[in-house]
Amino acid sequence: MKFLCVSCDEPMKLEKTESPQQGTLSAMFECPECFTQIAMLTNPSETQMVQSLGVKIGPGGADSAAKCPFSGALPQMEGAAPSEEGPRWTREALSRLENIPDFVRPMAKQGIEHYAESQGCPIINEAVLEEARGKFGM
Amino acid sequence: MILERSGSIMKSYFDIEGDGGSDVIAQVEAQQEAVREALSGVRNLVAVGSGKGGVGKSTVTMGLAQALKGRGASVAILDADFNGPCQAHLAGLDAHPWIPSPQGLAVPRRQDGIGVVSMGSLVPASQPVSFSTVSHGDEHVWRSTKEFAVLGQLLSSMAWGSLDFLLFDLPPGAERTVQYADFLPSGVSFVLVTVPSDISRSVVARSVSALAGTSAQMLGYVENMAGYFCRDCGEIKPLFPSSGTKLDLPLLGRVPFDPELASLCDSGWPERRDEAHKAVEAIHVVAENLLQALEAQE
Ligand SMILES: Nc1ncnc2c1ncn2[C@@H]1O[C@H](COP(=O)(O)OP(=O)(O)O)[C@@H](O)[C@H]1O
Ligand SMILES: [Mg+2]
Ligand SMILES: [Zn+2]
Repeated sequence: MKFLCVSCDEPMKLEKTESPQQGTLSAMFECPECFTQIAMLTNPSETQMVQSLGVKIGPGGADSAAKCPFSGALPQMEGAAPSEEGPRWTREALSRLENIPDFVRPMAKQGIEHYAESQGCPIINEAVLEEARGKFGM
Repeated sequence: MILERSGSIMKSYFDIEGDGGSDVIAQVEAQQEAVREALSGVRNLVAVGSGKGGVGKSTVTMGLAQALKGRGASVAILDADFNGPCQAHLAGLDAHPWIPSPQGLAVPRRQDGIGVVSMGSLVPASQPVSFSTVSHGDEHVWRSTKEFAVLGQLLSSMAWGSLDFLLFDLPPGAERTVQYADFLPSGVSFVLVTVPSDISRSVVARSVSALAGTSAQMLGYVENMAGYFCRDCGEIKPLFPSSGTKLDLPLLGRVPFDPELASLCDSGWPERRDEAHKAVEAIHVVAENLLQALEAQE
C-alpha cells in the first residue's frame, strides 16, 4: 500500500499509527514536500483482516518511517546476540539454519552451539546436526 | 488507466520505488499453501481453547497428548500461547535445542515420543517471550499480527511428517480463539476447556457462539477443576458453586482438581501414565470421548 501526494507527486511517508478505539487503526501519512497530512482509518474487521494475514507489506529495513503500518507483520524476536566464539559452522550446516524462522534463529543457533560444546565438538557440520536431530527431534 | 493532474500525468503505483506489497494476495496464498503443505501428513488438528485463562488448557492439552499416545497414536503439541509458552516446561523440555533437518525443523521430542513445539524451549521461563516493538504503534495493535505471522512461520517450517494428532494449546481470549479458527487450516476441531464457575462458563459460551460462525468444528468441552478429590473421604467435592450457564456443546468429561497434578505441572509432567492420579484418569476418559467424537464426524 502506498500513498501519493497528488499536488507534489511525492510518495507520502508514514508518520504515526494509533488505535483510538478497540480494533480500529489510524495511520497518518505526510508528504515530505508540502507536509500535507492524510490519515487512513480502518474499521475493526479491516484491521483484523490485515492483521491476520501475516504478510510483509512494503520494504523492511531500519527506516520504519518508510514502512507501511501493517509491516508489523514482520516478526522479530529480541534474541541472543550472534556468538563470536564457540564452535564453528560449516557452510552446509549453516545453510540448514535457513529452515528456522528468523525470529527464533539466533536462539536456536545458540542452543545448537551449547549442545555442540557440551559434546566437545569444535565444528558443527551436518553430521553433528543429524546426530542432534536423532537425539532431540521426532 | 492513467489519472491526469493539471496537465501532467500522476505517478502510478510502479513509478514509486520499492515494493509496497501489491502481491499481498499472492503472499497470503503462498503462506497458506506452505502451512497446508507442512501439515499434509497430519490426520487430526485439534485446538484446545477456552477464551478464559488459567482454566487448564495447557494441562488438558498435555494430558490429552499422553492419553492419545497411550492409545498408540503419534502426537505433537504446538504451544500457541506465545506470551506464556508453558508447554516446554510441562513437557520437561525447558532447554531443548531445535535442530534443523534438510526438510525443515525437526519437531522437538520428549523421551516418550510426544513432539512439543514451544518457544519455552528456547527462552528461559523467567524471561518473557518478547517481540521487538514496532515504532509509533500501540503494542496491542501489533500483537495479534505478530502472533499469527509467528504461528504461520512456525507451522510451515516444522517437519511434522506423518502424525495422528497435532494439538494446539491456545492462548486465552474469546476473540483470539475465533482468530485461530479462521487462521488454522479448515478441518481443525476445537475442544473448549472451562471450570465450573459462572464467569468461566459464560466466557466459553461466548467462544462457542463466535466459533459457530467459522468453519471450525467443535467436538465438545471439558469441565476442569470439577470438584476436588478428597483423600480423606475418597469423594469428589465441589470447588465452585454450580453455574446456570448452559453450554450448547457435548461434555467430553469432567476433570477433578488434583493437587498432585498441580505439582506435577510445576515439576514437569511425568513421562509415564500414572493411574494413581484422579485427574489423569479423567483425562483418559476425555481422550476416549474425543476419539469417538472425531469418528462420528467422519
Ligand atoms: N485438574 C487440575 N488439578 C490441579 N491443578 C490443575 C488442574 N488443571 C490445571 N491445574 C493447574 O492450574 C494452573 C493453570 O493451568 P493451565 O493448564 O496453565 O491453564 P491455562 O493453560 O488455561 O492457562 C496450573 O498451575 C495447573 O497446574
Ligand atoms: Mg496455557
Ligand atoms: Zn505534497
